[in-house]
Order: sequence, then C-alpha cells, then structure tokens
Amino acid sequence: MASTTAGAGGRSGLGQKRGTWFEVRRSFWPYVFISPFFILFGIFGLFPYVYAFYLSFVEWSGIGGPGTETWVGLRNYQALLGDDLWWKSLYNSVWLFVVTNLNLVIALVLAYILNSGLIRFKEVYRAAFFAPIVASSVAVAVIFTTLFGERYGTINWVLSLVGLPGVDWLGSATWIKPAIATVVIWRYFGWNTVIYLAGLQSIPTDLYEAARVDGASWPQIFRHITLPLLRPVITFTVILSIIGALQLFEEPLMLAGGSQSTSPGGTDQAGLTTLVYLYNQAFSYLKFGYASAMSVALFVIIVLFSFVYYRTVGRERD
Amino acid sequence: MANGKKPYSLDRRRFLKASAGAVGGLSLAGCAGMSTGGGGGAGAGNVQGTPVAGLNNQDVEGKTNITVWFWDEGLKYAVQDYNKNNKKNVNVKFVKLSYDDTHNKLLTSLAAGSGAPDVCAIEIGQVGNFVTRGGLADLTTEFEGDQFKDDMVEYKWIHGSNQEGKLIAMPWDIGPAGMWYQPDVFKRADLPTEPEEVGKRVQTWEDVMQLGQDLRKKLPNTALFADAFNDIFVPIVEQKGHGWFQNNKLMFEEKGTPALQAAVEARKNKVDANIDWWGAEWNEGLKQGAFQGMMIASWMQTGLTQSNPQLIGKWRVVPPPEGNFNWGGSFLTIPAQGQNKEAAWDFVKYVCCTPEGQNAIFRSTGIFPAYKPAWKDPLYDQPVDFFGGQKTFRLWTELAQNVPANVVNPNDRQAGDVVGNEITKVEKQGKDPAQAMKDAEAAALKRIQGIVG
Repeated sequence: MASTTAGAGGRSGLGQKRGTWFEVRRSFWPYVFISPFFILFGIFGLFPYVYAFYLSFVEWSGIGGPGTETWVGLRNYQALLGDDLWWKSLYNSVWLFVVTNLNLVIALVLAYILNSGLIRFKEVYRAAFFAPIVASSVAVAVIFTTLFGERYGTINWVLSLVGLPGVDWLGSATWIKPAIATVVIWRYFGWNTVIYLAGLQSIPTDLYEAARVDGASWPQIFRHITLPLLRPVITFTVILSIIGALQLFEEPLMLAGGSQSTSPGGTDQAGLTTLVYLYNQAFSYLKFGYASAMSVALFVIIVLFSFVYYRTVGRERD
Repeated sequence: MANGKKPYSLDRRRFLKASAGAVGGLSLAGCAGMSTGGGGGAGAGNVQGTPVAGLNNQDVEGKTNITVWFWDEGLKYAVQDYNKNNKKNVNVKFVKLSYDDTHNKLLTSLAAGSGAPDVCAIEIGQVGNFVTRGGLADLTTEFEGDQFKDDMVEYKWIHGSNQEGKLIAMPWDIGPAGMWYQPDVFKRADLPTEPEEVGKRVQTWEDVMQLGQDLRKKLPNTALFADAFNDIFVPIVEQKGHGWFQNNKLMFEEKGTPALQAAVEARKNKVDANIDWWGAEWNEGLKQGAFQGMMIASWMQTGLTQSNPQLIGKWRVVPPPEGNFNWGGSFLTIPAQGQNKEAAWDFVKYVCCTPEGQNAIFRSTGIFPAYKPAWKDPLYDQPVDFFGGQKTFRLWTELAQNVPANVVNPNDRQAGDVVGNEITKVEKQGKDPAQAMKDAEAAALKRIQGIVG
C-alpha cells in the first residue's frame, strides 16, 4: 500500500501542469484494477464504521427499522461517563490485556528456541502451535468448560491429586478472569510465535556470527542483537494484541455463561468485557445508539493505547 | 527513509505498521458493524440455515413462496402437511437457524428494513423486545387474530400481546412445569414413589425442603435437585407471573427476595447438589446420581431423551407446590415488511390455531400446544413411556391452567440481567437476599429510563 501511494504522489507531481483530470484519464485502467478493494472496503469497512459513528448520537432500538431513530446529541457519551458497568467492563478488559500479553513472552521464547536450530521437526511444532487459532471457538469453549468444571473438571481433579482444594473457576469472581486469560493465551501464542519466527529468520546470521566472534554470550546476543532488530515485529504484535485483547468477545462470552445467560460476565460481572457489554446493550437491550457510543469510545481508547505504546517503547530512537 | 540507516528494516517496519493499521481498522469495523447490526444480518434475505431432512426448500413455481425461521427441526412435520394440503396455493420454506441466529437475524433484518422472513418464531425470553416496538404485524388489527383468544392458554395470550393489548406474537407452544423425580431413587430412600403420594407430600415449598432433607438423610450423596437457584428460585418467581415488571413497576423485591431466601435455605440444608444447570457438569451430575430430579417444564423430555436415554421410563412428575408456573415456549410472528403477509397468516393459523397443525408437531417432538382445542385429541390420554406409563400429557394440560401473567415490557432483558448479577452475588458470595434485591432495584433504576421502583 505504501508504494502505491508513493508512486501516485510522484506522478501527480510530474503532471501538475496538465491538471488532475488528465491524470485520472491516463491512469484509468490502473484505477479500475485496484477499485474492487476500495469498493468492498467502502461497503463492508468504511460504511459500517461511519454509520456506527452516526448512531452514537441517536437513540434507536432497531426493531422499528431505518429512520425510526431519534437524535440525542452527546447524551449517549454523557451516559457512558456515568455508567459504572462500562468502567468495570473496561477494567476487566484492560486486566485481561495486561495478563494475556504473557503470550507474547511465551511466543518470543518459543520462536527463539525454534529458530536456534537446536530443535528438529520445526514445521511440526510450528503447525502444532498454530492449531489453536484454527480451532472453532465453540469447540474450544466446550473443551475448556469441561476442563474448568468445579466438580467434575479435569483441572480440579489434578489439584485434588496433589491435595489442593478445588476451585470454582468459572463461578467465582476471583478466578473467572484468570480462566479467560488462560484460554486467550493458549489460543493466540501460536499466532505470535509464527510472526516472531518470521521476524527472527529475517535477521542476517552474519550479525550473530560477528557477535560470537567478538565473544558475546547468548543472553547478550539476545539482548543486544535479536531484540533491537526484532523491535518492529514486536511493535506489530503488541499493537495487534492491544486491539485484540481490548476487543475480547468469544472467550469471555462462552466461559462466563454463554449468550443466553441472565448474568452476563458471571459472578459480580467479573468476566464482563467491554465488547460483551457492548453486545448486550445492542442485541439484548436494543440500545444501538448507546452501544455505538461505546464502540466509538473503545476505538479511541485502542488508538490511545497503541499510540502511547508506540511513542514510549515501540519506536526506534535515533 | 529519514535516518537512512538500514533501509530494509525501515521498509519492513513501515509495512508492518501499515498492516497493523489495516487489520486494526478491519476488526474495528467488524465491531462497529456488529453494533449497527450490519455484521450479523448481512445477507439476511438469503439466509440458508441448516438443511432439514425430508424437506425440499426450493421455490415452487406458480405458488406463493414464503419463508419461516425457527430453531427446532420439529416444525417440519407441520410444514410437510401444510405444503401438501393448504388451499391457498402456498409453499413454505423452512430455514432452520440456531436459537441465537433466529432472533439476531430477525432483529438485524428489521433494523435494515429488509431481509426478514415471512414468518419468524420468537421465544418467551425475547418476546418483550420484539412485541413492544413495532416492526412486526399487529395480528389483532390486520388479521382478526382475536378470534383465537379464547382457544389459547390465557397467560400465553398476554405474553404475545403488546402494552396496548394488541396481539403481535401468536401463541404456539407453552412450558407447563412440575417436579420431576425418579421413583427408584425415592424407593431406596424409603420415600413414597407413586405420583399421587408424592404429590400429596409436596403441597408447599416447606414440604419440598423437608423432602430434600429426608432424601439426604438416607442417601447422603444424592440431592433432590441440582441447583436451588434454578430449581427453586425460578419456579417461585414464575409462580407470580413471568417477567420482572408489573406495568412499569419493578418487582425485584416483591418477587425476588422470598424466592432467593428459599433458594439460600435449600442450599444451606443440602436440598440441592450445588451444580449449575445447563452444562456438562449438570449432565455428569445426573449420570452419577449427585442429584435425582428437577423442577422443569414439559419440553425437557425431548432433551433428556437424547442426552440421558438410560433414564427413559425412570421419571415421574407431580404438580409444583403452591401453584402452577410456566417455563419457556414460543410464538410465531409476521414481520411487517413481508410481501406475502396473507399467505404468512394462513400458515401461522395452521401451525398455531388448528389441532392438526399443533399436534403434527407435538406428536413427534413434545412441543406442547398453547391451543386448547388440540388437547381434545386422544393422544393426550395415552400413557407416556418416558414417564414410566404416567399420563403426563393430560397432567401438562392441567398444569397449564391458572398461571398468572404480566404484560411484557421492553426492558425485560436488561432488568433480567441486572437482577441476574445480584443473584450471582447471593449464590456465590453469600450476599443477603433482601439487600441484593434492594441493590438490584437501585441499579436498574439508574440504568433503565422510564421505569419506577
């Protein structure tokens, strides 16, 4: 995408005298060829987003059909500021974001090991690590609710073997978030491992060799060569992780009661993430305007998190 | 390339940044799409659904083709009969969707103004959202639906009507409920086993508590129920009518507090096994005999036949103590945007308001008719193998009488979630029921506009 923009910019600089229309005509076919993406993006990407932004200023149940909304200005946003459940769900989401970042550490270590050449059958491991991403979320939910079961669950059975008391993983306000985080980490570490592995493989081996000739130890090489050269990849994964974790939906929905639960988020709403709350506002309570205000606020928060990360640690300093 | 140090790494970084932006934008759009209803409902007009064996879901030329959405395969028996015999030249296509999809796609197609089916089922838990806000045809005004009012179970008619008393959702099936138990287990505990005797023994909720404790004394590892917060709490609430509102007044304290106190007491006295309903744990608990019975509605027969065939014939059922209640059931609706509403109405009448249509489904699935004339069929006096020969179909018709009803409210679901959260605190954290209901009321008044406490 970057090169396309650069090319177009260069050309319009050249043809300034002949005017824009000439340029458009001259590049007619290229525009036609790239148009499917922009048309599809406009319909399925841009339009819903702009429409959601508009909806955040109205009150609308949806049932009456289009045109039945009433304009309320900033009232949805004001309500959001005073909604304790919104803040609670945001806290839950940020908590999960912080903890699930553990999967980046796991992924980095695994990728480093896989890349080190110490291990055979690399492809097998890579495929195995990636498998959870492909698994259907319903199957994942069934498996993990069975594992986390209070009375007949596998985890509690293992705990009982070593003499520890069982834990009400999904039913207690204390343990629901760790349970969700476990599933999320398990699901996404493989994704990040593969990305890190690709990043590691693009680091030239002569740098390592030179460092070893100079007498650097493995931890030193990791700290001073691998990490800095991997920084753009890490930035990429962290920003994806910010976006993903703050939008956690399936895992908390399934583990904390399912879509028909009358206590979404589980005990004391400890597992209620922002997106689950947003979904309920829209599809259970039919407050599409309020839910849209939430999605806009969430968007701002995600941009803010990403920006702060990028400005503090993500960017390479001169 | 500002710093010009390592061009390849800069390019890669820029590429990664760009892709991060693109992916982020897409997932945000997905999120935004969901909240506008554009995501889930895209292409609702051509919803395919799961194929149903024995149905040919193609348009038939020269006929009025209409579509119906429902989540249980059982509807096909009525669709087959109707397509063969109807006099209006109508061909019905049955699209089987999941329960969630049926309601969500209906909602999104109403919001979009197109794409809804000609007939759509909705369930009691969702009815408050759909009948109170327009978008569905008013059956009273448009089709003289009121002619069936006296033929329907009374409370069900109220649930299908909006706050002005117009019928929006035609009553289809109901969930008359009772106490299910296993006589084999009762026998081992030296308790009465015949439904008549057991029924006499559980006249009040106090009797139920006593029965549960007597059972535990003899069989320390077997509880009467799985979860008092379902088997005791829900029936006591429903005995005062479905829903948390009377008109616009919140009933948390009036309905919730005594029901919660009973559930807490039952939990304390080990009347229940403390196993959550509706999951793998519940099923395992039933298999292992951690609990022996439940308070549930007629439709549970279908589920248990599939999940626990080893218990077929082992069940008996008696009326609930202190009055009848309903649990579950569905309606058929006609979206106002439809092009073939007359044909849709003819089909709805056949399924809901004729003995043939209702019983075609009931005979094969146990989906229990709200239409009282259907109960005259000799089928209802036959012994039922699942209940060891007990004539439970007739019993269900009796238990469907005298159930109190509240008019549904557009805020039913949000109120249900608010009170549901406080219930979890009572169950899992030992919060005082009265205080919990007081807090629930305060929270609901804060979050929902236009209601009174």
